[in-house]
Amino acid sequence: MPQRTKVSATDRVFAALANPTRRDVLDLLLGGPRPVQEIADRFDMARPSVSEHLRVLLDAGLVTETRQGRQRVYAVTPEPLRELQDWLSPYERFWRGKLTGLRGYLEETHGG
Amino acid sequence: MADDVTRVRVDEFLPHSTARVWAALTDPDALRGWFMDGDFKPVVGHRFEFRTDPLAATGFSGVIACEVLDLEPEALLRYSWADARNPDGLDSVVTWTLHAEGTGTRVVVEQSGFDPDDAHQQLARTIMGGGWRSRVLRRLDSYLAQR
Repeated sequence: MPQRTKVSATDRVFAALANPTRRDVLDLLLGGPRPVQEIADRFDMARPSVSEHLRVLLDAGLVTETRQGRQRVYAVTPEPLRELQDWLSPYERFWRGKLTGLRGYLEETHGG
Repeated sequence: MADDVTRVRVDEFLPHSTARVWAALTDPDALRGWFMDGDFKPVVGHRFEFRTDPLAATGFSGVIACEVLDLEPEALLRYSWADARNPDGLDSVVTWTLHAEGTGTRVVVEQSGFDPDDAHQQLARTIMGGGWRSRVLRRLDSYLAQR
């Protein structure tokens, strides 16, 4: 059986996002940081299940955890999400870039 | 449509005549100036290659094997678009359409034929299903814009 030397950061991000509940948690956190209890209430889930989902998101680098008094507060981390966006739509970005190039080219050569 | 992972479609209004835009799309010297190096000829059936940077995210080699499939001056240009170095890689069709709009031209470029069973596409579809692309990515944009 082939051995993988390491699980890449990208693999962890995708594994984390393969679960619809975790995508919903991330969606919620895009609206702003939330304490763990508020996340649990929102999803009608027991604290341990929520903590498990948050741990996976944390390991993937998609969220950060800070302590505020007795509460743990979670917030999204933009950088891996930005990379994800590039990964999800590389061709769209490619053609958008080319159309910008076309616009520039037509302006430069105008009247020439 | 927003969550259709087998195609991408991008459009842009350009303040130039369809004749100028068409020339930019079909003249090899012009293509070198804004698009890519390639031995394109505006002749149906002509086979050629474009060369660009590899796309690491998708395993794309950067050399594209093309064949002109359809041509309608100042209106439509279609060529096949496959990864020349990877027979199991990307095999798609690129269609340019030009629409006169006021004093300018709306350019639409569509790339279709992405394999929905490709591992990358399956993952993208899973993640983008349920409105991920339309809702979450938009929220991500506004979230990032606030920083």
